Amino acid sequence: MSLLEVENLHIAYKEIEAVKGVSFFVSEGELVSIIGANGAGKTTILNAIMGLVPSQKGSIKYKGKDITNLPPHERAHMGIRIVPEKARLFPQLTVWENLMTGIYGIKKQISLEERLKWIYGLFPILKERETQPAVTLSGGEQQQVAIARALISDPDLVLVDEISMGLMPLLVDKVFEVLKELNEQHGKTILLVEQNALASLKISTRAYVLETGEITFSGTAEEVINDPRIHEAYLGG
Amino acid sequence: MDLFIEQLMNGLAIGAIYALITSGLSLIYGILRILHVAHAGIYTIGAYVGLGVYSMTGNLLFAILASMAVCSILGILVERIVYSPLLKFPPYVPLIASIALLLGIEEVMRLIAGPQIHGFPVSLPLATIRVGNISLSSALVMVYIVSIVIFFVLWIITSKTDLGLAMRAVSQDMSIASAMGINSRQIVSLTFAIGSSIAAIAGILVGIYFNQVYPTMGAVPAYKTLALIVVGGLGSVPGAILASLLLGIAETLLIGYANIPFPRDALAFVAMILVLMIRPEGLLGNIKKKI
Repeated sequence: MSLLEVENLHIAYKEIEAVKGVSFFVSEGELVSIIGANGAGKTTILNAIMGLVPSQKGSIKYKGKDITNLPPHERAHMGIRIVPEKARLFPQLTVWENLMTGIYGIKKQISLEERLKWIYGLFPILKERETQPAVTLSGGEQQQVAIARALISDPDLVLVDEISMGLMPLLVDKVFEVLKELNEQHGKTILLVEQNALASLKISTRAYVLETGEITFSGTAEEVINDPRIHEAYLGG
Repeated sequence: MDLFIEQLMNGLAIGAIYALITSGLSLIYGILRILHVAHAGIYTIGAYVGLGVYSMTGNLLFAILASMAVCSILGILVERIVYSPLLKFPPYVPLIASIALLLGIEEVMRLIAGPQIHGFPVSLPLATIRVGNISLSSALVMVYIVSIVIFFVLWIITSKTDLGLAMRAVSQDMSIASAMGINSRQIVSLTFAIGSSIAAIAGILVGIYFNQVYPTMGAVPAYKTLALIVVGGLGSVPGAILASLLLGIAETLLIGYANIPFPRDALAFVAMILVLMIRPEGLLGNIKKKI
């Protein structure tokens, strides 16, 4: 059974239809990428899965349950977490407080000490920055806090939105490495949305290609990389 | 000198009462970015409910608690019924609704309790404090004690509890807060409940302190407290409290010492204009940096 199943999803902002009947699935343990150009509707799809934008038609099933009409905080408590585009940290909260928002309402269900040890192992710089307001961090540090904030609750499905945007190349590599490790060694199911198609395909199990709100191609990461049309359009020939 | 100190203490009490109203207003502005003018209406209702329950039961503590409960519920209803549907419009739309609500509350109170001024005679179980030639009335002492307790509790809630963390997160980014598992609707309601119950206490304190409860008692505070949250820094509760205390003192000293016929109620707006010219982010406000 798939962990996440999206069927015939339609999302419109006022009159403009951003997502036009998209269907896809993510199985447990997979790292799935949705690649596509700017404005193709990738972020909109992730936000719809999180519950941050309403859908007009279609259904989103998670762990076999229809969550299409659930509010975002209930989805979060069911184990879906998001690393938003541009990190979207709470700017005036400290790094520590930002992390604590990630376990709001479920503090008692997890062993915080263990989680923190693991998180600080992944991102040692966060320990140093613990008491700093998020607004004072560099872009790369903010992305790390955003990932940590999503992971601290030990989620079952992590949605990652344009993580490479605005990061320097060295950091992009490091962040993708972390995602790969999370997927392979910690068994985290990840749905990745990226403009940086090559980097995301390299670590993905499967991928979908999104063009102006519709899925035009899908397959294993290898199939997508090797398809000449995709190669030309997204991987720079 | 003694007179000066007494004036100062009086001013501080008036400032503390302003601060009780503005702290709730500031919390609510912080979370919804609306100017909740009707907050002063809630404060008026708080005074009337407190007076009503006190005349029936003779128990001031019970009157305060009842008034807090009524005002919390009213605050939540105002947000759900009036503001929530209007948030998708430009900010002046909920502002107009809020002004209408304040005027409506004044008229309703006039219909229910009459246009006359009601006294709020309370025999307080507190002594008048005398130090040398300075005496502080029991009402004054009560204002100090109650406001210190409220500010302390408010500080604990906002900075030391999970609820406070959620309130701050929601005020900075409501949709991401929801994605983190915070029930934003609930946090907004709780913020209105907290702010409104503090307004209820302020209403009762004013009623007792000036021995006056009347339908339009919220009119001047409504606009003065708006000026105060700008002076303190929009959305900054400590700033709002500081600005309120300073204004209370300044107003009292102005009446006591200045021989110019300057209306005291104008002082808040003069302060607002000065702040907007010199330090637009307010006394303790920070210009929100986008990340």
